Amino acid sequence: MGFIGENGAGKTTTIKAILDIIKEFSGDIKIFGLDVKKEMSKVQENIGVVLDDMFFPEILTPNDLNTVMKGIYKNWDSNLYFKYLQEFSLPKDKQIKILSKGMRKKLEIIVSLSHHPKFLILDEPTSGLDPIARNDVIKIFQDFIENGECSIFFSSHITTDLEHIADYITFINNGEIVLSKTCDELLNDYAVVKCTEKEFKMIDKNDYMKYLKTNHEYECLIENKKTFKIKYKITTIDNASLESIMLIMIKGEK
Amino acid sequence: MLGLIKKDFLMIKSNFKTLAIIFVVYAVMAFQGQMDLSFILPFMSVMIMISTFSYEEFNKWNAYACTLPNGRENTVKAKYISTILMIVIVTFIVTITTFLITYTKDNTINYESILSTMLGTFFATVLLQSFMYPAIYKLGVEKARIGIFVVVFGLGIIGALVSKIYDLKKVLALLKPLENYVIFIIPIFMIVMLYISYTISKKTNLKKEF
Repeated sequence: MGFIGENGAGKTTTIKAILDIIKEFSGDIKIFGLDVKKEMSKVQENIGVVLDDMFFPEILTPNDLNTVMKGIYKNWDSNLYFKYLQEFSLPKDKQIKILSKGMRKKLEIIVSLSHHPKFLILDEPTSGLDPIARNDVIKIFQDFIENGECSIFFSSHITTDLEHIADYITFINNGEIVLSKTCDELLNDYAVVKCTEKEFKMIDKNDYMKYLKTNHEYECLIENKKTFKIKYKITTIDNASLESIMLIMIKGEK
Repeated sequence: MLGLIKKDFLMIKSNFKTLAIIFVVYAVMAFQGQMDLSFILPFMSVMIMISTFSYEEFNKWNAYACTLPNGRENTVKAKYISTILMIVIVTFIVTITTFLITYTKDNTINYESILSTMLGTFFATVLLQSFMYPAIYKLGVEKARIGIFVVVFGLGIIGALVSKIYDLKKVLALLKPLENYVIFIIPIFMIVMLYISYTISKKTNLKKEF
């Protein structure tokens, strides 16, 4: 599931609540059917985590991390870890503080995967990565979910990454879920109608979710492209991207 | 949890060389009778372990540690174990060295004197750890350092004021009958102190938000 929203919408706070990093929240959170407030210890062995900030002590090396994690996770797989290090061309013996931001992010992702977790919780895992590294990482994530038994909860500003990998998208704003749908629904059914003021005035308010007025035109986010096309004779109807959905839902008016 | 203990030692491995050099310098000075070897190195080893808190705080490790298996509890447990291990190892090395120096210089060994000094050193370092760690978990490294300084300074002033009003020698005289049991009392006291300290640290870390 892809988790999107603007800065300050509450993505990281939600992830911290899921991971028991923050305690004060209302409602229940369950992972593998277990309440995280009561049974987090049973969950932790089977989850892999990447947080938004760098979190490994900088004076350790990737080799040290292997020693540390081997003593933490029962299923830690050193062979897999070193295989990933090699694939991503990461040095084994250099202190983390010497690595670039992108290399550190790759290291975090590798560590999150190397104990064969069933569920990955990733906060902005692809931020700071160049397009090639992002592509490699996305491929690893795709392989991870391929067997159908593993899942990823993935927050990102880079919505195109989510379009490649996510089956579901949840969009939050000011801590509340604005929409939660399958990615296919959003990308195939949702659309952005671009029209003049005159055309806009002809559209029934119930037929669009929100609209955004730009200098020359109106952009309306609609939920069902096919129905809209039958009802109105407006020709400029573009497929919605996650970015355009986010933008119109946040900045738009009803 | 073993991984977390290893992490603490891996984080301070770069300090081992410095510690070894200081050890050699102090050992030479102790051999020349200019310095007592017993306290400085165990004390430094605790300070080095405390520095791992700074690294962790700086790198936001604590939030990530919450996501590891039993992370909140195990990080505290591991920190206490690694520090005690460090104190035991350093105190052991220092004790052996002191034995060797004394024997080489005087050809005799005063076992009782050396062992009581080492027990005192062990007690002092454990006392430092027992007070510092709950404060660090509650306030963070920097504030805890200041907090402990204020407490120690405050206790010093209170002690000085009390000693002006009451004769502390009389109070110490009351403890005189316990002198023969010190070898038993101190270890029991250390264990109780560590247990209380650990319990407070654990409870603080279990509730803490990062």
